[in-house]
Amino acid sequence: MFPILLTVLLFIVLVVCVGFAVLFFVARKDALFFKRSLSMKNQRHDTVITDKITLSKKQLETAFDAITDFICALDEKLVITRVNKNYSQFVQIPIPKLLGQHCYEVFWKRSTPCDHCPALMTFANSKPVYKRTFKMPGKDRPMFFTVASYPVFGNDGKTTNVIEHIRDSTEEKAILEQLIRSEKLASIGTMTAGIAHEMINPLSGISGTAANMLQMPDKYGLNEKGVSRVTTILESASRASAIVKDLLHLSRKEEGTSMLIDINSILLKAIDSVQLKGFPLIEHKINTDSTIGRVLCDPIKIEQIIINLLTNAIQSILEKKAACSREGKQFSGLVLISTQSEDGHVRIDIMDNGTGVPDAIKDKIFDPFFTTRPPGEGTGLGLSICQKIVDEHNGRIFFESAENFTTFSVLLPFHAVQEDAGNA
Amino acid sequence: MHNSILIVDDEAGIRNMLLDYLETKYDVSTAADAETALALCDRKNFDLVISDVNMPGMKGPDLLSKIKKMHPKTCTVLITAYNVDDYIRLARKSNVSNIIPKTSPFNFSELDSLLFGLLTKNIFGLKRYMLPQYTHLGEFCIRSSHDAKEVREACVDLLLNKLGVAGDMRLLVDEIVTNAIYHAPSFPDGTEKYEEFTDVNLEPHEYVYLECGFDPEKYGLTVVDNMGRLTKDTVLYKIERQMSGEGVLDDSGRGLHMSRLFSDRMIINIEPKIKTEVILINYFSHKYRGYKPLYINEL
Repeated sequence: MFPILLTVLLFIVLVVCVGFAVLFFVARKDALFFKRSLSMKNQRHDTVITDKITLSKKQLETAFDAITDFICALDEKLVITRVNKNYSQFVQIPIPKLLGQHCYEVFWKRSTPCDHCPALMTFANSKPVYKRTFKMPGKDRPMFFTVASYPVFGNDGKTTNVIEHIRDSTEEKAILEQLIRSEKLASIGTMTAGIAHEMINPLSGISGTAANMLQMPDKYGLNEKGVSRVTTILESASRASAIVKDLLHLSRKEEGTSMLIDINSILLKAIDSVQLKGFPLIEHKINTDSTIGRVLCDPIKIEQIIINLLTNAIQSILEKKAACSREGKQFSGLVLISTQSEDGHVRIDIMDNGTGVPDAIKDKIFDPFFTTRPPGEGTGLGLSICQKIVDEHNGRIFFESAENFTTFSVLLPFHAVQEDAGNA
Repeated sequence: MHNSILIVDDEAGIRNMLLDYLETKYDVSTAADAETALALCDRKNFDLVISDVNMPGMKGPDLLSKIKKMHPKTCTVLITAYNVDDYIRLARKSNVSNIIPKTSPFNFSELDSLLFGLLTKNIFGLKRYMLPQYTHLGEFCIRSSHDAKEVREACVDLLLNKLGVAGDMRLLVDEIVTNAIYHAPSFPDGTEKYEEFTDVNLEPHEYVYLECGFDPEKYGLTVVDNMGRLTKDTVLYKIERQMSGEGVLDDSGRGLHMSRLFSDRMIINIEPKIKTEVILINYFSHKYRGYKPLYINEL
């Protein structure tokens, strides 16, 4: 009896086991199926997200690269972890080679971090740093950069990276400086006019009295030595007066002397009135466009411009001539003066083959008191006077100095005035 | 007896300079301010007063107006370190028509001829304004609009041939002569006799006279008409109007304005109803740096 019972029992156990096994198998299969379907769904979802992330990354990278400023991501050792195209172009190192390098080495060409490094500050206090200006020696002039840095926070809330933004502000700074300078000049101009007038009074007295003394030396008990010293006083006073006169030209805003006049006639008159030793010996060609008609302008001031430019041209030729003769070289000076009509403007060109304008002083030649001539020869105000007169006429003055020729050009607008009105 | 002159300037250098120069020919007194000057004028009737424009206290033009009221026959001259052109309106208001700029070096010979003219009433003639070494080049008479151009050109050519320069004289003489032919002759009621740019034959008693010449430092040209229709006030008004830009587009006073602008000196002498003279002078070199003077003499 017992074995049968045991067998039955075993059988039941077996059946139960198989049943469980089947159940388990089915359940597992179900679970697997469920899991698989879930994972497939997730996978689809992942692809969408990945795509989105890739796109967004691309967009960011493009934006990163499209920015004309220089952008990089740095770790706390100031090692570049990401960098944009313009950064790489500026330092002339391809992006892959830049990664892993120190920013101060590749960008700032230093062996240690810069003083007051904005990135280090951001790492230290987790706060952005805005607009710090840094200077770097450039090819022909110093370059200026405005640097800002922004923290990137990790999961723990600590600053893991810093995004550094560098902008080339050299041009901006130059414009700003120019603005400040012209502001300063304007106020100096106003002040100068006052001073110049006050100077004329004593100067006229000094030179007049000196002239009296030379005229009537006995009246003043003047001996020969006295006469020679007073002569020096008179000469000095005259030189000072010349400077004062130029200053007044520069600072004074004269009005109401405009008239319709033929620029060519002013040009010819100006050429006639240039009185410089050596000028008659220099070949000069005049090529005027007789069809340009009349221009509303201040003839005396325009004449002044032409005289100033012509004087510069001649002096530069004479200097070159002197230099060439010292070196035993042949040189013959040439001045070409021409007028033409150009886009509603009259254009006056004065070209010479003199010493030219060196690159180093190109930015300065229109500045008041800038001169290349020795003291006593010229006040350094000639070109600034020209600039001022041209500005008053809403015109433009510029120059080009290439190889052997320098051309100063003046553009004056034809004024919209009825030609007949002035002719009545 | 010497003529008496009073110099008023707060700048001692100028005062002494003028004193030193003028006391060789005149009886000269000086004052450093308008108040002292008025006190001096109370006691004495000066023949001529030269006053600075800008002085502490009362200004030059006011001082000269006051002196004119006290002594109507006193001649008055203003002197300034500032731009003479800025004072033309003021000059007209205070009835002063001679303003000397303080140039460096000071132009003494010009001062001489101005003072001499004012004091002796002998104002006419180019020679009066030139140095003693004056060379007379030629004189011409215009009797009709027909021969005006030819005569004008001949006069300017004379300068050009002799000196090689004539500045803008050709242009300016054209303007001045045109004024003299068309605007000077008038009917007894004062209206203009001839219409501009018509053919005009001047009557025997009407003529336009031209003369030119030079001295070692300058050359000049004069245009005289014997009608004397222009007045000091008109000249000042027209110059001021052109200078302020008011008259840019019309021709009233353009000739006078341009003449003043394009020549180094323009001197206008007027004997009302008798004679008008416009003298234009250019310096060979720009020795006297400074502003242009205003010289209008009316007898």
